[in-house]
Amino acid sequence: MKINTLLLSMLTIGILNSCEKAENETPQPYESGVIVVNAGNFSDNNGSLSLLQRTGNTLVTDIFLKENLRSLTGSLSGYCEVNGKGVILVDNSTAGKDVVEIVDAGTFKSIATIPSTEIENPRNAIKVSETKAYISAWDATGDFSNFFKNPGYVAVLDLSTNKIIKKIAVENGAEDLQLIGNEVYVGNSGSVKNTISVIDINTDAIKQTIPVGLNSEIIGADASGKLWVFAGNELQKINTGGKTVENKIKITSSNSAKSPGAFVMSADKNTIYFTHSFYDATDGWKQKGETYAFKTSASVAEAKTPFINRLFGGGMAVDPQTGNIYAGLVPSYKQAGYVFRYKSDGSLIDSVKAEIAPGKFYFKK
Amino acid sequence: MKRRDFFARIGLLTGVIFTTLSHTFAQKEQTLCEVTVTAIRPERFMTGQKVRTVDSAQFAQNQFTNLSNFLQFQSPVAFKSYGAGQLATISFRGTSPSHTAVLWNGINVNSPSVGQSDFSTLPMTGFDEMSIQYGSAASCVGTDAVGGSILLRSVPKFNQKGIQAIAGVSAESSENFAAQAGIRFFKENGKWKFSGKTLFYGSNNKNNFGTEPLSDQKGRQYPVEPTTTYQKGIVQDFFAMKNNGNMWSLNIWLSDNNVTIQPGNIPLREITDSRSDKVVLAYNLGKTLFRAAYIRDVMDYGKAENQNPSHTDIDRYIFRTEHDFSWIKSCDRGTNLKLGGEFVHYEAKVDGYGGNQISENRADFYALLRYQHSQRLTGSLNMRQALVQGFNPPFTPSLGIDYRIFDGKTDRINLSGNLAYSYRVPTLNERYWVNLGNPDLKPEVGFNKEISLIWKRRTSETFHQQYGISAFHNLIDNWTYWNPDKNYRVENLQQVLAKGIEIETSTKLILEKTEINCQFQYALTHSSQQKAYGPYTEDILGKQLIYVPRHSMNNTLSLTKNACSVTLQQLFNSSRFITFDHSGRPFPPYYLLNGWISYKLKIRKNSIHTQLQGNNLTNTLYPNMKKNAMPMRSVSLNIIFIFNQKK
Repeated sequence: MKINTLLLSMLTIGILNSCEKAENETPQPYESGVIVVNAGNFSDNNGSLSLLQRTGNTLVTDIFLKENLRSLTGSLSGYCEVNGKGVILVDNSTAGKDVVEIVDAGTFKSIATIPSTEIENPRNAIKVSETKAYISAWDATGDFSNFFKNPGYVAVLDLSTNKIIKKIAVENGAEDLQLIGNEVYVGNSGSVKNTISVIDINTDAIKQTIPVGLNSEIIGADASGKLWVFAGNELQKINTGGKTVENKIKITSSNSAKSPGAFVMSADKNTIYFTHSFYDATDGWKQKGETYAFKTSASVAEAKTPFINRLFGGGMAVDPQTGNIYAGLVPSYKQAGYVFRYKSDGSLIDSVKAEIAPGKFYFKK
Repeated sequence: MKRRDFFARIGLLTGVIFTTLSHTFAQKEQTLCEVTVTAIRPERFMTGQKVRTVDSAQFAQNQFTNLSNFLQFQSPVAFKSYGAGQLATISFRGTSPSHTAVLWNGINVNSPSVGQSDFSTLPMTGFDEMSIQYGSAASCVGTDAVGGSILLRSVPKFNQKGIQAIAGVSAESSENFAAQAGIRFFKENGKWKFSGKTLFYGSNNKNNFGTEPLSDQKGRQYPVEPTTTYQKGIVQDFFAMKNNGNMWSLNIWLSDNNVTIQPGNIPLREITDSRSDKVVLAYNLGKTLFRAAYIRDVMDYGKAENQNPSHTDIDRYIFRTEHDFSWIKSCDRGTNLKLGGEFVHYEAKVDGYGGNQISENRADFYALLRYQHSQRLTGSLNMRQALVQGFNPPFTPSLGIDYRIFDGKTDRINLSGNLAYSYRVPTLNERYWVNLGNPDLKPEVGFNKEISLIWKRRTSETFHQQYGISAFHNLIDNWTYWNPDKNYRVENLQQVLAKGIEIETSTKLILEKTEINCQFQYALTHSSQQKAYGPYTEDILGKQLIYVPRHSMNNTLSLTKNACSVTLQQLFNSSRFITFDHSGRPFPPYYLLNGWISYKLKIRKNSIHTQLQGNNLTNTLYPNMKKNAMPMRSVSLNIIFIFNQKK
């Protein structure tokens, strides 16, 4: 864009803004509620975002399409907001076609698109400051024999310029991101790496790595500020000051075939919810299991009495405002899934039909 | 597409049919005396079923087209295409891609691993004739013929004189180039007649439709996926017929198809290379046929440097013998019986089967009976029993009847009906894929009922018309499904009812030196899941299956005068759902228009066929399975040189 055009458009926006001042009091359509990230069916490239209100079962489907007259062009792997802007991670089934869409978080009108040349296989996005988001990405994947062939990276998205300003190389299969203080912890999935990385958000550089074991899932910080990670098949409590593992706890169960997953921290930061499941060879490899709760103060973790007596394939998240648990149910990747809502005591509130493969949630103010 | 545009286009479609009443058909009906000299084609036993033979003029116009692009304008079949030059699978009468049998010289050539054919890898140059058979014909054809079958044949040209050399080139504006070269020969010596063809073909398609996403007026936007396709192949046919009618035939088709997605970016590219070798040797000894075939399907899929591709290699050895019995009372009355058996041995080496080589034997026995009572009344009763190592496919009978209810001087009206069971043997993937395959699967079973009324009108030698209407009801049980609820293990979960109505017209009109042909087809198809199999399947019961348009229409109009011809092809498909429960936005309806202007220049015995071809002339933007843009408008110039030996 030429500088004149830029100046002109800035001027125009300025004028428009001043004209619209009076209308600003009416709430914007997507100001509050919960953004449901519907992953879509991978090769159909039909991921979508819906807006679900915290109460009642109103769900507005495909809000990006509604506001921009074009649909998102891939599966969706994440969404976050930074200072009034929404960041949407779009993962197309064709390599080299992934993008990051930036929208106005209140109106969902498109602001910018980070082109495919800048990002490959984005996985998660979080806000790290008023102008910055971090996006974990796998980079190009290989064939079945060496899927995570490249080191992953954390892309630094500057939302004042809507550009990726840096890529920080991390372990292969970069996945979870968790901001604690001025540091972001980066987990990884499926690769053979057994450390997590710690990034300083002021320098956008790796500060340190912590050995934890394979397939590190970052759960979050508990009420006492300790970081919980599930890695090497164990729950691990990490002292974020010394970056040391303070405690390791194995999850036990009467069914040794079961394995835990989908960890999420409660709103009061005293409980970790997780699923415990196995593929039943005697029933056509159907995935069976339940959802359990673990008190961060406990010294043993036994998956004995289910917290919620069912399993969610899509994913779970906790609304920090209400403490309610949101879980995505995916009957198939070719039909709309459901969002199940539970109170923090495990009692069911409701279930609302969403779109294809609801799994991640973003809780607006 | 604007609503007004839409109606304007429908208007164009229908206008064409009613204003230009013209067309072909009037295929000469063979008498019993004529067809019983040598073996009888299985189509003869498909009484009461719709079988359309594509005429040679259509072949001549489409020498640089692949079968998916060709068929979508020829019949109301829907194709699921993954993009220019990429996988294209068929949905015939609302069924799945593995419910269409594709036969080449009598042998089912569907891939044994996935049970379907990729029609983008089958160029029209690979065969000489084609029939499109609608509905279940498993008793005649075997497994997979649930929704229909596509019968491809190589044929001798015993009426040709000497040697003919063919060389053709095609250049398309999307940077797609194709070429073919070969000879056809004929030789005769006292006792024997020899005929054959050797043809090499190849194409190099850049499929260049830009790199930026494309949008239509409604703001629908689809990305363009960069793809290149290389195709090459050899077709070798050899026929030797003795003067007593006994004939040897050898048909070989070797083909190689390479698709690369993101070709310009090595770390990101995906390469699929599929090779298919097909060899059929047959001997017709009087009314007995012996046929041996070998088919090898090899596929490699890899990424980036492609150093360790996933590999599939399946060999098939086929032996078939059949004998025709006939009891002919007159040229209009008699009985034909075909008894046959086929044996197939499979050897499969597929990475996904856990490194083990899978061997399997299958056999089929069939009895096809056709009784012609008179010119007006014919019936057939066919039976087939397939045997597959490890489990038992169902006994598959069919019953058909054809009755001429009106037989006038210029008009004939035939009413016909057919009841047919069909089956599909589960694919090797469905049974042997590690963990997800299911060795306990049952074969799918279909029961198809159909009825049709055909009115043929020949008011003069120069004006032929044909109108037909058919209705079908096909209930398919034990339809397999890779069940996401069981981590994508395959199960016999679905029961699908496919039903519909098809209307077709065909007209041929000759005015002095001008010949006008017009064909039109419309299909209303409703295909839906009938049986609940899980707590959330209530959401999908009774709803139209994904990617099956409710309405589809196609039309071919051609006008030939002396050496020039103009051909227009149009098709319309209504919107297609992409989810079982119809949630989300369906793919919009679309209309396509292709056109040719051809000129045949004769220089002594030789000729040059020049074609200017326009594809997607209305520049319609419509999505493929991956929601990327399908090819936009392109123009190509095709030239074929035909040199005939001087006598």
